[in-house]
Amino acid sequence: MKRRDFIRDAAAAGLALRFGPRLFAGAPVPAPLPALAVVEGESPAAITKEAIDLMGGMGKFVGKGAKVVIKPNIGWDRTPEMAACTNPEVVKTLVELVLEAGAKKAIVIDNTTNQAKRCYVRSGIQDAVQQAGGDMLFVDDYRVKKMALKGEWIKEWEIVQDVVESDLIINVPIAKVHSLCRLTLGGKNWLGATAGARNQFHQGLDKSIVDLSAFFKPRLTVLDAYRILVRNGPQGGRLSDTELRKTVIAGTDPVAVDAFGATLFGVGQDELPYLALSKARGLGETDLGKVRVEKRTV
Amino acid sequence: MASQAVFFGLFVYLFIGAHYTGQDYIGSTVQRFFHFDPLLALVTIVAGRLVYAYFAFALITVVATILFGRVFCGWVCPLGAVHQLSSFVFKRTKFLKPPREDKTSLAPKYYILLLVLIGAIFGLDLAGYLDPLSFLTRSFALAVLPSLAYALSSLTGALYSLGVIGIARAISQTLENWTIHATFIQGFSIGLVFLGAIALNAKKERFWCRYLCPTGALLGLLSRWNLLKLKIDDEKCIKCGLCTTHCETQAHPYPNDHWKSGECVYCQNCASICPTAAIGFKLSARPEKLTNVSNVDLSRRKLLLTTIAGLVAVPFFRLTPSHKRASLKLIRPPGSLPEPKFLSKCVKCGQCMRACPTGGLQPVLTEAGPEGIYTPKLVPKIGYCEYYCSLCTQVCPTGAIKKQTIEAKNKIKIGTAWVNKSRCIPYVLGKPCIVCEEHCPVSPKAIKFVNVETKLPDGTVAVQKAPVIDLTLCTGCGICENKCPIVDDPAIFVTSVGETRSETNKLLLDLGGGAAQDPYKSD
Repeated sequence: MKRRDFIRDAAAAGLALRFGPRLFAGAPVPAPLPALAVVEGESPAAITKEAIDLMGGMGKFVGKGAKVVIKPNIGWDRTPEMAACTNPEVVKTLVELVLEAGAKKAIVIDNTTNQAKRCYVRSGIQDAVQQAGGDMLFVDDYRVKKMALKGEWIKEWEIVQDVVESDLIINVPIAKVHSLCRLTLGGKNWLGATAGARNQFHQGLDKSIVDLSAFFKPRLTVLDAYRILVRNGPQGGRLSDTELRKTVIAGTDPVAVDAFGATLFGVGQDELPYLALSKARGLGETDLGKVRVEKRTV
Repeated sequence: MASQAVFFGLFVYLFIGAHYTGQDYIGSTVQRFFHFDPLLALVTIVAGRLVYAYFAFALITVVATILFGRVFCGWVCPLGAVHQLSSFVFKRTKFLKPPREDKTSLAPKYYILLLVLIGAIFGLDLAGYLDPLSFLTRSFALAVLPSLAYALSSLTGALYSLGVIGIARAISQTLENWTIHATFIQGFSIGLVFLGAIALNAKKERFWCRYLCPTGALLGLLSRWNLLKLKIDDEKCIKCGLCTTHCETQAHPYPNDHWKSGECVYCQNCASICPTAAIGFKLSARPEKLTNVSNVDLSRRKLLLTTIAGLVAVPFFRLTPSHKRASLKLIRPPGSLPEPKFLSKCVKCGQCMRACPTGGLQPVLTEAGPEGIYTPKLVPKIGYCEYYCSLCTQVCPTGAIKKQTIEAKNKIKIGTAWVNKSRCIPYVLGKPCIVCEEHCPVSPKAIKFVNVETKLPDGTVAVQKAPVIDLTLCTGCGICENKCPIVDDPAIFVTSVGETRSETNKLLLDLGGGAAQDPYKSD
């Protein structure tokens, strides 16, 4: 099956699923959209697409002519099998969906840890994004500005302008273990949108994550758990450091996405203090029993 | 001249190409130029006591020179092109007024050559300092390109503030794409020397080629019997002497029997300036007259003196403690030969420093003794050794850094990381950090963490994760030192001890009972 055909069919299926019940039951009440969509399946592209469809489709988030920034984790000079960077197929699918929904630009950017070009190339993300018609940008020193974060701990910091100067930010982290904050999920991913002496954040990583999440306020988070990193985080290095989970979690509640991500590792929320801090700040819900989670396998 | 432009263009193209292009292996770059250089071939083979197969290309130059004279200097050499162009500019702008007949001795370059060759016999590689390819590559890599990058980067800033965002962005993205670093230790002084070499052309046309270039001298000696001879048509010649005045290299075309075949670079200036078109170059096996063969005033006395100077220079260059004990901060690129062999093969071209993606490879000033000036070392504070990179090993023209696959390179230890517990944040301040552990690229990580108790000034005790190093896993890549938040004097740092290439700079006693476990084969 060609990608285009697949996307068309999947879109049709999505539409049928969304409007189907209404048509057949004749009930005019649409099912409320979930806060989280958890999709499992063989193809990273298909599960990403399905997850977005479950969230109401990309058109719900992207306006016509919008400038959209997609922020994956491209922090390391590692291949996709090492599960150190977001799966390129997931990123590619999002770029395609964003452009199909009528966005003018889909920019993919990350302030990497290793040499930027190496990370962009070896992660496979540069190729994937360019194929999908998105723009891959290196962080430009002159486009890093000190901004008022007005956080509780971080009052101001150097932020990558391209990330904030957009109509929509989609956070696309990968689920990994991290020795200091236990897990790196959506919250920790924001460090890649900052610059300056960001390694100092480690002196209060949980507080930093909350302040950064409050600043960036993503309307959509897509957590890539296709292959997760379970050892030697956050960059792994061996296939045996990873586990295949073939899952993507999309959500409008960034805290709930991370809370769900923690369950993949069997890590309790007591080990992730930033979740409770985020909830207290009103950024989202940590109790997965209180949010609508839609699960599906494709 | 078209040929020079082509070769100079090729040189710059290959030179710029020596970086991470998106491919892990980059094939031939500017180092191929070096392989055609007979001086580098001779000195590297003699000094290194090793035959490096790539230098077979130099035989092509040797044969070409024997047959056709110093065509390499006049048509190929990219530094020659730079000198010729700047001479031309100086002449046009009247900074340089060539004398009617120049009688300055052309001997210095031959004495320099002798000095270099005597050094080589004793394993001292001095060729790189004045060899035109080394000189040009080093100057471009460490001064010209970085200054250009700096200027372009500043321009980017200016363009952004003027609102010309499209162009500004294009420049900044290109600089990132081509990996051009603007920070080099000694970049300033290397740049000054380069500008000085160019400025000399205001004094004499192609000053460098006439008086300094040891490669030119070697080619001059080889070209004594060449077949391509300058011929003045006596019937047409009006004896104006313009040819001799405007000869770029003082080869003295007129009178015909004073022409020095060992100095002529076949630039054709004489032929094109001749008002009656009396000058041509013809193939002829006629031997030179003996006076022209020796063609420069090399006195036996001075040759002897130079020989003695060369002999004396060798121990002088070696009066350094770096031969007794390894230098703390002399972290050589992965795949470097053991220090004495490395010094005898490195031609200081700076190509490895150009290729280094993080800019961590920097020219040495003092750590390796006098003969090690401009050789490469890793300065982790500036840039670390990228885990999936072996570019520096691929671009070395002489094999001083042995070519490595990425897998092989990752088994090489270039040094060892140490924690300075009296500066490390968790150890001293009782605050969380372990940035170093996060960045350690080997799996399993060479930096582990343990919980340590720290007494705080108020008497309370903090417990934090603090880094400890597994010396058997550490490769010395230096990313920990580079990323340590204590920027002035990082609390984790790499020194050269434990480097794979050295028999003496060892750290862990391995008596061979039970081979060390290879972490890369454990799964």
